[in-house]
Amino acid sequence: MELQKNLERIILIELLVPLTLFIFGAYHGVMQVMYQSGVIRATSFAGIDYYQGLTAHGVINAIVLTTFFAVALGAAVVSYELKSRVSIAGATLALILMLLGAVMAAAMIFMGKASVLYTFYPPLMAHPLFYVGLALFIVGSWVPFWTWIPVYIRWRKENPGRKTPMGVVGIFATFIVWQLATLPVAFEVLAQLLPWSLGWTPGVNVMLSRTLFWFFGHPLVYFWLLPTYVLYYTMLPNLAGGKLFSDFAGRFTFMTLILLSCPLGLHHQFADPGISTSSKGFQGVLTLMVAIPSLLTAFTLAASLELAARGRGGKGLFGWWKNLPYFDPQVWLFPYLFCGLVIFLFGGITGIVNASYSMNNVVHNTAWIPAHFHLTVGGPVFLGILGGSLLLITGLLKKPVVSRTMALTVPYVWMVGTFVFSSGFFLGGLRGEPRRTNLGLTYMNPASPSYRPDWWLATHMGLLGGCIMGLAVLLYFIVLVRSLAAAPDAALAQAPFSLPTSKPYHDEDIAAVQNFTPWVAAAVLLCVVSYYAPVRDIVKNGITTAPGFRPDNPAAVSTAH
Amino acid sequence: MAINVLERRALMGAIAFVAVSLGLIAYATWGLGINVPTCIPLGTKPFDQASVTKHDGKNYEVHFVARMWAFEPAVLRVPTGSTLDIYAVTKDVTHGFLIAGTNVNLMLVPGAVANGRVHFSKPGIYNIVCHEYCGKGHQAMNAQIEVSDQIADYSVEGIPASAGLKLLDEKGCLACHTVDGSARIGPTFKGAWGTTLHLADGSTRTFDAALFEQKIHDPTAFAVTGYPPVMPPIPLTDDEIKQIEAYLEGLQN
Repeated sequence: MELQKNLERIILIELLVPLTLFIFGAYHGVMQVMYQSGVIRATSFAGIDYYQGLTAHGVINAIVLTTFFAVALGAAVVSYELKSRVSIAGATLALILMLLGAVMAAAMIFMGKASVLYTFYPPLMAHPLFYVGLALFIVGSWVPFWTWIPVYIRWRKENPGRKTPMGVVGIFATFIVWQLATLPVAFEVLAQLLPWSLGWTPGVNVMLSRTLFWFFGHPLVYFWLLPTYVLYYTMLPNLAGGKLFSDFAGRFTFMTLILLSCPLGLHHQFADPGISTSSKGFQGVLTLMVAIPSLLTAFTLAASLELAARGRGGKGLFGWWKNLPYFDPQVWLFPYLFCGLVIFLFGGITGIVNASYSMNNVVHNTAWIPAHFHLTVGGPVFLGILGGSLLLITGLLKKPVVSRTMALTVPYVWMVGTFVFSSGFFLGGLRGEPRRTNLGLTYMNPASPSYRPDWWLATHMGLLGGCIMGLAVLLYFIVLVRSLAAAPDAALAQAPFSLPTSKPYHDEDIAAVQNFTPWVAAAVLLCVVSYYAPVRDIVKNGITTAPGFRPDNPAAVSTAH
Repeated sequence: MAINVLERRALMGAIAFVAVSLGLIAYATWGLGINVPTCIPLGTKPFDQASVTKHDGKNYEVHFVARMWAFEPAVLRVPTGSTLDIYAVTKDVTHGFLIAGTNVNLMLVPGAVANGRVHFSKPGIYNIVCHEYCGKGHQAMNAQIEVSDQIADYSVEGIPASAGLKLLDEKGCLACHTVDGSARIGPTFKGAWGTTLHLADGSTRTFDAALFEQKIHDPTAFAVTGYPPVMPPIPLTDDEIKQIEAYLEGLQN
């Protein structure tokens, strides 16, 4: 079927605007490894301060790009899979709010008024418009989901007894998690940070802010991951030439991620004061539970690939690995998803280290952490966004993907880059190298008393890996621009818009994973159980409020009017 | 319809993996005694002055103060085999506190006190790095703990004294007067404020602001019994006099 024309336009804007902003985000990714390895020994380069660029890198890549992609993919999947029209008014309102918010926040960052990183921890204080921008962006991203709910309810009434399409299950899981997770951070931004940055309140309870932020911050990583899971569960088996091994595994994974996304953000605060070890321990146990859907996903996707490979003539216990379309230009999307999975294997294992309670003492806030999340959000998620965007953009414009060999090279180059980069950062982290620090000025400067020669190898592996990642991004943009410039394909123009959706091999009918309501109710309940004690401790222990500070001045911002 | 048998095994395997991991974490926490920081229900305001207190043997309680962009103390030297109970606070934004090579990894959050314990069984230099972005000078924010076989007791650098004490030092006052109760050419300042002084001319006067200011402006006006009248004129501004008086007043007990 064809999508609504206006919806197609909105989806294209939602994909192309953040990809354009991403040029800056990626640029400062490469710049960062230069500063950190001491290639650049300065506070700023080409007019952008290190921490200003770092803020842009985090906000653009981890929030703006990922959220726009989720909204765009969601609109395409819901409309295509349910064969239904969705609200154009809702989609337009969302687009306007999100664009306005993103532009506002980006403007403050580029004007140097919001060098507070993407975690924007108080009492570092940004310009009020930065917080307004974030709030508009988040609220805007809620709107499309609200308009999809009645569409889905109508579909269920009109299709009694039919299973919800897997893609729709995944997209709804994505936005249920997002809705639940963003409420506390919206409260933090609107009730705490915005009035405080305007000088209306003298101080902010920083522990409460951090806790609200991480209630959002951890499910944020599942919000990044879930759209990629949609691609894995609905498209990967088909691209490999086979079927999804188990329909149940996909539904079970999406439902358990609804349950286990929010009530475990405290594992980012294991090192924080003011929260009891019992609260931290409880959420630590919940965190490890996420390994169950993750390992089941690993099994199911590997089984689906094996099924496909054997269908293509693969033989032997391990020999079938050779029979997958790693370099087939016809399925250029396959390596984006496949390489993402390979990277994610290591992202998952190192994530278990972070989550393992006392082991976190060794790695908390060191370079180990960015090493880990460049193998998750920087691995499967990012490659899913690149591949998915190229698929949607060319599919909607009815244009061919030009330079397919280059297109399928991108994920392999990226994979090599992330492995080199992250190996270096893991090594540095274990040696106490701090994350997000302009190391070149001090720790990687032989002239400084703080010089740490034992971090040389780590930072220079980061430099090499980061440059390879930069090369992959460059190749991607060559493919994207050439494809955009290509003439629409006459044959493609005849065919209706379609997504390469897989069929299930084992199509189990298990009622427990077919209905969202009990899972959402359980998730809300678990959040209350999980967060009641730490929030009570923070409020009861009478933690004092803090005045604001600008990043360049050790004296507090005067809030007197 | 039941789920596939291979899939059921994979699910069981995943559950077993989680169970084993949790068992290992429990062993690390209770068996090896490695835990994460917890609440310190102080109920009082966090301290704002760095300090080191020696308890018994080689047990020290160290109060670290973090600020943009330094730790106080900047250098702490302790003998090998010392155990440090560390309490740390921030005076401004959120800072990080990682002693590399140990299990002490803390966030210093405004309004709360962070706590950790570390035992140094091997000599060496242990670097403390601020690992949370705290503004433009973040990359220069670090400190050191030097653990050595060669020393018997602790020493520190980088705990700034109060302004008054700093002035007494800079203006040379401490050449003749001490702040620890011991005697030099002149009387000690310790516990002197508010007491009655016996002067060389036989009279008695209270050590107060009026007496102190008279002595500064006219050093030969009077002398305390038992001490030679050798005090030189000391050029001090009114502000500086006030700062020293505030410090001396605090030295009463």
